[in-house]
Amino acid sequence: MQKLKDIQQDKSVLVIGGGVGGIRAALDLAESRRNVVLIDKSYAIGGLMTQLDRTFPTNNCDLCTVSPHLSENTRQIHLELSPMTQLESLTGEAGDFKATLVTEPRYIDMDKCTACGECYKQFPEAVRFTPGLDPRAPTCMRYPHATPYAFSIDMEKVSDIAALQKVCKADAILPEDTQKRTTVDAGAVVLSIGAELFDPAALDNYGGGRFDNVVTGLEYERIMSASGPFQGDLVRVSDKKRPKKVAWIQCVGSRGINRADVPYCSGVCCMYALKEAMVTKERFAESIETTIFFMDMRTYGKDYEQYFNRAKDDYGVRMIRCRPHSIVQDDETRDLSITYTTEDEARHKTEEFDMVVLSTGFRVPESTRDLAGRLGIELNTHNFAETDHFNSVKTSRPGVYVCGVAESPKDIPETMVQASAAASMAAADLPAVMDVLDTEEDFPPERDITGEAARIGVFVCDCGLEIGGVVDVDKIVASVATCADVVVSQTVGYGCSSDSMRVIEAAIKTHHLNRVVIGGCSPRTHETKFQDLMRRAGLNKYLVEIVNLRDQNTWVHIGQPEAALDKAYKLLQIGISGVRKNRSLVDHTLPMNQNALVVGGGVTGMTAALQLAGQGVKVYLVERNAELGGMATSIRRTIEGDDVRSFITQLVKDVTKHKNIQVLTRSIIVDHSGVPGLFKTGIQTGLRMNYMQLAHGVTIFATGAVANRPDVYGLGTHDNITTQLELDALIEDDPEKIKAMNQVVMIQCAGSREADNPNCSRVCCQAAMKNALRIKAISPDTQIFILYRDIRTYGFYEDYYKQARDLDVKFVRFSVDNKPEVWIENDQVSVFVDDVILGRKIQIETDYVALSTGMVADDETTEDLAMMFHLPRTTDNYFLEDHVKLRPVDMSVRGIFIAGTTHSPKTIRESITQAYAAAGRAQTLLAKKEINLGAAIAKVDGTKCAACLVCVRACPFGIPFINEDGYSQIDPAQCQGCGICAADCPAKAIQLLAFEDDQILAKLDGLFGGLN
Amino acid sequence: MITAEQKPLKEIIEYISPYNRILLVGCNECVTVCAAGGRKEVGLLASALHLNCLKQGKTIEIKELTLERQCDPEYVEELVSEIGRVDAIVSMACGCGVQSVAARYKETPVFPAVNTKFMGASVAQGIWEERCKGCGDCMLGITGGICPVARCSKHLLNGPCGGTSYGMCEISPDVECAWCLIWERLKALGMEKRYEEIMEAKDWRPAGGGGPRKIIREDLSL
Amino acid sequence: MENFEPEIVAFCCHYCAYTAADMAGSKRISYPPNVKIIRVPCTGKVDAIHMMKAFEKGADGVYVAGCLEGDCHFKNGNTRAGYRVAYVQKILEELGWEKDRLAMITMSAGMGERFARTAREFTEKIKELGPSPIKQFNTDTHQQAAG
Repeated sequence: MQKLKDIQQDKSVLVIGGGVGGIRAALDLAESRRNVVLIDKSYAIGGLMTQLDRTFPTNNCDLCTVSPHLSENTRQIHLELSPMTQLESLTGEAGDFKATLVTEPRYIDMDKCTACGECYKQFPEAVRFTPGLDPRAPTCMRYPHATPYAFSIDMEKVSDIAALQKVCKADAILPEDTQKRTTVDAGAVVLSIGAELFDPAALDNYGGGRFDNVVTGLEYERIMSASGPFQGDLVRVSDKKRPKKVAWIQCVGSRGINRADVPYCSGVCCMYALKEAMVTKERFAESIETTIFFMDMRTYGKDYEQYFNRAKDDYGVRMIRCRPHSIVQDDETRDLSITYTTEDEARHKTEEFDMVVLSTGFRVPESTRDLAGRLGIELNTHNFAETDHFNSVKTSRPGVYVCGVAESPKDIPETMVQASAAASMAAADLPAVMDVLDTEEDFPPERDITGEAARIGVFVCDCGLEIGGVVDVDKIVASVATCADVVVSQTVGYGCSSDSMRVIEAAIKTHHLNRVVIGGCSPRTHETKFQDLMRRAGLNKYLVEIVNLRDQNTWVHIGQPEAALDKAYKLLQIGISGVRKNRSLVDHTLPMNQNALVVGGGVTGMTAALQLAGQGVKVYLVERNAELGGMATSIRRTIEGDDVRSFITQLVKDVTKHKNIQVLTRSIIVDHSGVPGLFKTGIQTGLRMNYMQLAHGVTIFATGAVANRPDVYGLGTHDNITTQLELDALIEDDPEKIKAMNQVVMIQCAGSREADNPNCSRVCCQAAMKNALRIKAISPDTQIFILYRDIRTYGFYEDYYKQARDLDVKFVRFSVDNKPEVWIENDQVSVFVDDVILGRKIQIETDYVALSTGMVADDETTEDLAMMFHLPRTTDNYFLEDHVKLRPVDMSVRGIFIAGTTHSPKTIRESITQAYAAAGRAQTLLAKKEINLGAAIAKVDGTKCAACLVCVRACPFGIPFINEDGYSQIDPAQCQGCGICAADCPAKAIQLLAFEDDQILAKLDGLFGGLN
Repeated sequence: MITAEQKPLKEIIEYISPYNRILLVGCNECVTVCAAGGRKEVGLLASALHLNCLKQGKTIEIKELTLERQCDPEYVEELVSEIGRVDAIVSMACGCGVQSVAARYKETPVFPAVNTKFMGASVAQGIWEERCKGCGDCMLGITGGICPVARCSKHLLNGPCGGTSYGMCEISPDVECAWCLIWERLKALGMEKRYEEIMEAKDWRPAGGGGPRKIIREDLSL
Repeated sequence: MENFEPEIVAFCCHYCAYTAADMAGSKRISYPPNVKIIRVPCTGKVDAIHMMKAFEKGADGVYVAGCLEGDCHFKNGNTRAGYRVAYVQKILEELGWEKDRLAMITMSAGMGERFARTAREFTEKIKELGPSPIKQFNTDTHQQAAG
């Protein structure tokens, strides 16, 4: 376990729960140089995510995406990790809590345990066992690269302690270990305890827990997972045969009113069912028939609608809108039959399936209520943490924050956003960080390898089935073992797991290696990790070459194992040949600029600016309009009933008077240069458009989206055909007019979820509920029709949907191929719509039509900014974050963050959460006093230089110049590392370090070694 | 600066076709700057020659070397160790360099890989224009710093011909009329009067009319 | 040449094309395994000599894949790469090689599908052109010897 080395601050933040949310919050705080104690009641951290097979929408393997996050933990000097630990009590107040913690005995000295597994081999009964589908011998290591990497003993089951102790060669068994009680001085608490998944055994109609071939979504993930019970083979539990027909039933235990049901929507099940169906076809067999029984398809997240479309159109996943009553099992074959109806047929149908997956959602366990009591925070009616209407991470007790599913059902990206937001809020409760530099992690001195002959080690990951499932890794390893200079060549399982890292480190030392090739996933995600490994092993970090065997080989050649094998071999040859030419290089560093630029003066931008300014950061808040406020100024009330205007007025007041914020309205960005940590952005500001250059270390884009006004359903042709925004204002300003209305029609998805704007605007369903309920409150007799395709009131918004139904709001479903029509005759507006239940067209003479038009990206703004800042965008012109799952507010350019509707459509509350998250992520960077520019810079050989000026002219940044000695000079601190000068130099006097010509040519040699 | 352009590959290939071992020599002076024969071009030409041979199922040995300056005997001397090992030399220097190499290594055939073009200046990245004919009797002092010998298509000395049109020469709309430039420049300098002075017929002997030229600095000679 | 499987080198810039290739991976969009990627920070780093050497060493096709026009992380590296590709194409033509064995392709980081599609199209084109002239000779003589 890491001990706290840095005790400048005596206050810590206590993070409860070691799932992805807790880990993210803890890492953010540690990176911001705040001390963190991360506790988890389990013996290893990682939470639910580590049990998933792959995550939507990228269908990546979770272990791979989460593992870099897990091991980061162990290297953070501000982070103390306490597994098997729970909070007993919390006294004091924000900024000055005393937390009492109780740690259960592990009976193992974690500093000594090497996780060799010997104890478990000899005394399997003495280890705790992961319940569920896992038929393999019980193991207390929850997943292949558990953190901390050590076993734990269930002492009650040990009969012969002496014998157990004898088995352990590391002498790590501590039979005398006892429960420990400690107190922590905490400035704030972050609660990230997640929730449980509903156990369908509580229902008697679906056979959950009784029928072998009925599994929950999570169990299905475990079956498909490489670390699961069948080693990643999709088979039925009953006969271990590959299923031919798999069905999913949605909303099991959720969105219900029956016994054991909860009324809310679990928010993630639609996406995970689609994912599981797609992965089934993709990984196992195209021919497996997949069917999803659903009520409303809720793919409301960023680009999720396109994911849904892919499932339907590209993968042929069958979608049936029906909630089946029950599942019947054939006792002999263990096949399952489902009886259902469809909208277009009155009769029941019965169909056989080999397997049925129950899409179960989140449940708050009893233990949460206890913990809430000990923390002194309130829970809502569904027993999730009650939070502020304008701040989703703030609980009822000041200084206690919540993130992830403990707050409400949500998926991983939203959990990550809340985690960063909670971390940012918690950091603000601590005294400001002192300006003292941390001592860097203690890496051993680098070995000078000059003059040494190349001694290369090749380590190939099987990455579970991700690589090993497509190509024979042992075969590859054996074939490259014979290559020149290769001293070691071996398979390392999950190469990025802490045990494999240790194996590689040991091999480097034992074999005196001076070059390393890793065959695994993309260097884009894992290079840093292996570079750190090199440093730990006493080698320069540029002596490793990562060969992309997964993302660019096995993932794209699943169906061609032979070709993939051949390609893997060749790619490794490229790596081996290339690494021979790698040299030890030195990174360049520069002092970091501590100012922040926030672009966009809406709610999101103002929130982020205030949060950073509160931490002593000087903030430039740039807004192109004359006034602050943004899109939210056109909204009057939230669904919770809060007055948006007064909220914004207060926010504007706070921002304007804050001494650390310089508000620049009527300002547009005109140019941008610099490197992360030292950005320079030019703006034209004020009525006279004066030019001004801002120097800043980080940038947050909160430029928002724009309200959509599509030319549909007669919008703009009649005063009584408007958008929900106008209805919102009308309800507030002219209730008399509302009272006079007999019939109001709302049409959902107006201009969204169609070919020209394929995504869901997310906010419209809750906006329709909000306005419908407000109309009903003013005028109960007004009839309201909501014409919809799917009602997407995710999470607790479902409560409002139910209220609306209870108040007799009429919901009429239509399909995209058969949309309603709006007619105007003699100034009378009528809506025609096919009613699927009545089976005929109905006409509604209406006083008012409100179209749910949602929002679209601010194309022009994102395009300009994307060009200037070199940022990627999605196909529908929102900014594209660095990692849609794990880094939802970080852009690929370090130091640039996004928040609010510039990321994707979302509510005010969700935008505010993202604003705090972006501020929090920015703080992690601002906590550093210097920035690392890397080593990939252009270097001039003065003896070869002809002073021809080509580099001076070709450099896009104007960095090279001809020095007094008459040759070109390039400032390493300013060089951006593109290599354009190196390629253009007619004297070949310039090399781009880390990408030198001989390295590139050596790679070509490696590839074609067999041909020439 | 002396400018040059690479010869068509066909011509170079023809020169070296009888040989198997080639010494390809670049020059780090003018031809590097005008991207005709520096280290980079040497590499590219070598590669092109290899490709050509490989296509015919042959291989060829090419030794690449770039000298600081091919027109100085000391630098040329650096090739001496390679001479016995090659069948022919291809020089990517200007004509001066090619001849210096040929003069030093009499037993080995030497072929040019570039066409030496003119004495010129770089007007922008990748563009060079002729500026000097080496006439041996510079008159820039009276023509406003613009040379009619090098830049007038007809080398006229007393104003433009009838082919001048809106400041451009009749040979091409891309070529400026040197005499228009001279006039504008003199006007800007307030020296219009100069234009009126008639220049006598030019003595072309210093320009080479009297045979190959030579410069001797006795004070520097050893 | 029936079962001709060309060897293709793709110089991909880190910020766009290489990321797009990873994206194709995470979306499991298949493309021909003939394409082998060499990562460079920017296509502006790809020297004419790298393209030539790739052919010299045995590539049947080479392409340089960078960011979309105007989207280069380093302002104009992709444009410069485009010029160099055109220059090397001229050399190839002079040598009697098909210039289409070399190409410049642009895409953004999010375009996994475009990466896969262009890789497929380029591979198809090279298959049509047949093995590199270097290998064609080898095969010809081989066939003669066999015949």
